[in-house]
Amino acid sequence: MRPLTLEAIDRDEVLTEAISELCGSTRAAFLRTTALGGAAMLAALTTPAEAAAEIGDVAILNFGLRFERLQATFYTQADELGTIATMAKAKRSWARTLGAHERAHVKIIKQVLGSKAEGRPSFDFGEANETDAAFTKTAVALEDLTVALLAGVTPQVHDKGLVSALFSLLTVESRHAAWARHIVGTTPAPKAFDEPKTLRQVQGAIARTRFVVRRPRTSGTRSPGFTG
Amino acid sequence: MPRPAAPGLRRGAAAAGLTAAAAAVALLAAGLGLDSPPPARPATASALPAPVAPAFTPRPPRLLGSARHRSLWAPVKRAAAVRAAPDAAAPLAGMLEPMTPEGTRTVVAVAERDRDGSGRPWVKVRLAVLPNGTTGWVPRAALGGYGTVRTRLVVDLDAFSATLLRDGRRLLRVPVGVGTAATPTPTGEFYVRNRLTRYRSPTYGPIAFGTSARSPQATDWPAGGFVGIHGTDRPDLVPGRVSHGCIRLRNADILALARRMPVGTPVTIR
Repeated sequence: MRPLTLEAIDRDEVLTEAISELCGSTRAAFLRTTALGGAAMLAALTTPAEAAAEIGDVAILNFGLRFERLQATFYTQADELGTIATMAKAKRSWARTLGAHERAHVKIIKQVLGSKAEGRPSFDFGEANETDAAFTKTAVALEDLTVALLAGVTPQVHDKGLVSALFSLLTVESRHAAWARHIVGTTPAPKAFDEPKTLRQVQGAIARTRFVVRRPRTSGTRSPGFTG
Repeated sequence: MPRPAAPGLRRGAAAAGLTAAAAAVALLAAGLGLDSPPPARPATASALPAPVAPAFTPRPPRLLGSARHRSLWAPVKRAAAVRAAPDAAAPLAGMLEPMTPEGTRTVVAVAERDRDGSGRPWVKVRLAVLPNGTTGWVPRAALGGYGTVRTRLVVDLDAFSATLLRDGRRLLRVPVGVGTAATPTPTGEFYVRNRLTRYRSPTYGPIAFGTSARSPQATDWPAGGFVGIHGTDRPDLVPGRVSHGCIRLRNADILALARRMPVGTPVTIR
């Protein structure tokens, strides 16, 4: 299977442009860099369960949780940083609604997974959610990516009840994607058929954004040297 | 030549007519009080499978509440020059190192954000240097992803108390030991910059938090005179003015605080 590139997912190249701008490089240079670094980051993101031949429902849900957390953090942080507050009313409502939906998704998936839920990853969005323009471009690409992920993995889920629930998420995420595209004035439905993506393909695309980072080590075991 | 769909449509129309007639008869019979069995449902409806019940349904979405009690912090990704203004040509205000003397990642409290003349983003951060309260600007690229906390610790030196708030509401209030008259605990706005556990030093109790506050009287202290918030092996001295500047808690209290206070929490000492 041909590895998924950002170009393939990012149909209007909005994310590619956004990230390349953030990296201070040309689009071509950005793609060269990500192609070189992608494999290692993908390996770092792949859990043993996902590397197995058959991916179980728990592994799929956990990846869904990781991805929903990424989205929820992206929107929440943009709100906390004041990026959303600077937008026009209709756009502000769009951004805040999407944030609220993604937080609700995180909450319920975490609840369904219970003790099998993976820990919260750390994210570094750089400037992607610090300006209106960068935020909007990235949001469009993220929503498109979510639709591709859910369309790809939902048929792999064994539990019928979970399939039903994931389809409900898929339709909502499709509306998010169309809404986001409407906001930026681009075609809400650019193709007659959406090609589903595999979990591994989406993992690769996410890894190439470098939004998921190693958690900063803020705890230690050295003896304190404080004033006492 | 008849179109292929037409016969089907006609059959459908005839079936609909029959169903409507049967329904009308049934209604009339019911109206007259006749005791008759209910009409059979159309075969097409009973053949449709029931929808699969979803395994979960998200709760109604909630917008983010007020940001009044939220504070931002960020880890330092790489060493960076700190400037007096958001400009690479502004006077140097200090250096930011990525690691602390305790071997943890340096974190800074974010006070403000701005852009320079060429549109490059800068972040105003609180620095863990003397004089206490020093701030400066670093390029956004020197910092990692932002973290958010909803907690705040308020230490009252006269009341010998530490109060932990979340979203402005009191979570915990515990007695503390503070600096003596010769080595007073500095006052001002600080933040929690790391958390140390499992060390072998009973003097500091089971957990110690490093803060950005520094003691002006302990500049020759080996690790730089940072003020900590920690446990103790002398609980009998708490509350009181007993330390070299650190904030001492009884061990049960520091454990209770550690369960609720994340790194990045702002600390007000007054």
